[in-house]
Amino acid sequence: MSFLALAPILAVVAGALISLLLEAFLGRKGHELSATAAVVSLLAAGYFIVRSWNLELGYFAARLSLDPLALLLMAVFVVLGAFVILMSLAYASRRDIALGQLCGLLLIALAGLMIMVSSTDWLVVFLGLEVLSVASYALTGLRRSDPASSEAAAKYFLMGSFAGAFFVFGLAILFGTSGSMSLASGLSGGGVPSALPAGPAVGLGLIVAALFFKIAVAPFHMWAPDVYEGAPTPVAAFLTIAPKAAGLVVLLRVLAPVLGRGGTAAAVFGPVVSAAAVLTMFAGNLAALRQSSVKRLLAYSAIAHSGYLLVAVAAGDGPGLVFYLIAYLFMNAGAFAVLTALEGDDGGTATLDGLAGLGRRHPALAACLAVFLLSLAGFPPTAGFLAKFYVFSGAVAKGHVVLVVAAVLASLVSVAYYLKVIMVMYMKDAAADLTIGRDEPALWLVVFLCVFGVVQLGLWPGNLLTLIRQGSSGLF
Amino acid sequence: MTLAVFVVLSAVCVAAVAAMILSRNPADNALFLVVAFAALGGLFGLLDSPFAAVAQVLVYAGAIMVLFLFAVMMFDLRRLEPRSRKRVRLGLASALAALLLAELALAGIRISGLAGPAWRSAEARDMARLGRLLFTDYLYPLEISALLLMAAIAGALALAGRKDAG
Repeated sequence: MSFLALAPILAVVAGALISLLLEAFLGRKGHELSATAAVVSLLAAGYFIVRSWNLELGYFAARLSLDPLALLLMAVFVVLGAFVILMSLAYASRRDIALGQLCGLLLIALAGLMIMVSSTDWLVVFLGLEVLSVASYALTGLRRSDPASSEAAAKYFLMGSFAGAFFVFGLAILFGTSGSMSLASGLSGGGVPSALPAGPAVGLGLIVAALFFKIAVAPFHMWAPDVYEGAPTPVAAFLTIAPKAAGLVVLLRVLAPVLGRGGTAAAVFGPVVSAAAVLTMFAGNLAALRQSSVKRLLAYSAIAHSGYLLVAVAAGDGPGLVFYLIAYLFMNAGAFAVLTALEGDDGGTATLDGLAGLGRRHPALAACLAVFLLSLAGFPPTAGFLAKFYVFSGAVAKGHVVLVVAAVLASLVSVAYYLKVIMVMYMKDAAADLTIGRDEPALWLVVFLCVFGVVQLGLWPGNLLTLIRQGSSGLF
Repeated sequence: MTLAVFVVLSAVCVAAVAAMILSRNPADNALFLVVAFAALGGLFGLLDSPFAAVAQVLVYAGAIMVLFLFAVMMFDLRRLEPRSRKRVRLGLASALAALLLAELALAGIRISGLAGPAWRSAEARDMARLGRLLFTDYLYPLEISALLLMAAIAGALALAGRKDAG
């Protein structure tokens, strides 16, 4: 029990308040200042996270507990937040977005994410999810001059509220039947470990459906492509990674004990999760094949990756899930960073044809994008390959052979569209000249760090794996 | 007496819900739903749970219905709304407002009446316990809801505030 457990969340919330106030009082002049404040608060949060490692801090009667899994995820969120802010520096002024508002809302969303992953109390998880969602709706609609952005925000808001209602309803049933808000206790079934009481099962089913909505799992993924495409590009990078990571970790915390224990509960929820994973992988990958906008292609690829990640949840494979999420953070953030660089002043997003000849005119940028896409497809020696390898082999070890066969088939489908982008970049001649070459050191820094992360984790993943194993040894 | 009130309130509630489903105009639907919520609040009051009654009126009839009405107003209603119905709607709206005011006043009188020796009654103790629970066991969720409200305000400002100043 220590107040220090609150420090990372407090640092982020303080940063959000300062950014918003700077934006409110200084207006346009405050933009860079508020971005600086946001990055500083992220550094502070990062410091507190590293400092809390292995201390098992908790507060509020363990409603907030910084176990290693929570700390790893918090670190992922902090890194992602810093990436998104660095990506938006030039983008925001180009697109007439108030940078202070973007930073403030982003930090509030990060606080929601941190609250979500660091609790085993349903009520707290739900409130964290709502903080994240409310901030995300606003972030999606920040490009106010663009109707697509407003449309995306409205869609996200409606679908998100709907999912939130599911969550509350499930929570009410769970609380009403078990009298407890704890993630684990609702399903213990009165001393019989294998039994599945009907009330909690329905409640848990509703909550799982709501979480599937939030992480864009088929058949609840219809909103995702429009939202990811309409959102400002750096925000899209955030939305494709962060809510997914938090939702999956909550799912893992709930479902791993249920599925691991066997009995009726596992017989009901196991096939549901596996079926959703297979459906998501194929729905995302098959739809991505037909896209001509690169941003939309990446949106569908993000849906497909939810499916691969669900394989890890179905197998109860905590370390595999965390490693995949970290690898995914670098490769997806990198791909969206390159996309941000490619967007011209006219506001249009890069189409597949627009990428033609990029390999000749901007070899470095094209090479980076190629690395990210190969990693997303799962080619060695990138991080994406190892991540898929760990998740799939972990699932086979748990006996989910059919699921893994489906996952491998789906990744084969995905190779087609990732390679199509690379082929267009290197083998087609340019139709129209793409104007890049703005002076954006922050963006190049993000691209460089992501390439570094992808290659480093692909070649020498040892340190991180040790850390993850050490952290999750007590949990799974 | 209790039975009579119960019968009246439930009849109003059922009739309002039926009218809500049958009526074609979205604005009327929303207003009928408010009537149903208000009647429901009265039913909670009959069940000796003043907190549920007040929350029902304040939260549902007050906050959530305002949200509904805003959403309804965002659509173009002129096409759906014949001019002749305007007076009916006005009458309905003012009757509703009076009903809500009466309920709130009643609740307020009962709560302020509790400040005296009646403070030791069971329902008052329940309310006090609820408050204490919120600030002890459920402090963390309470603080997070404060953050949630701030997120909502910041988000609303970002989406709808003045464009130059933000």
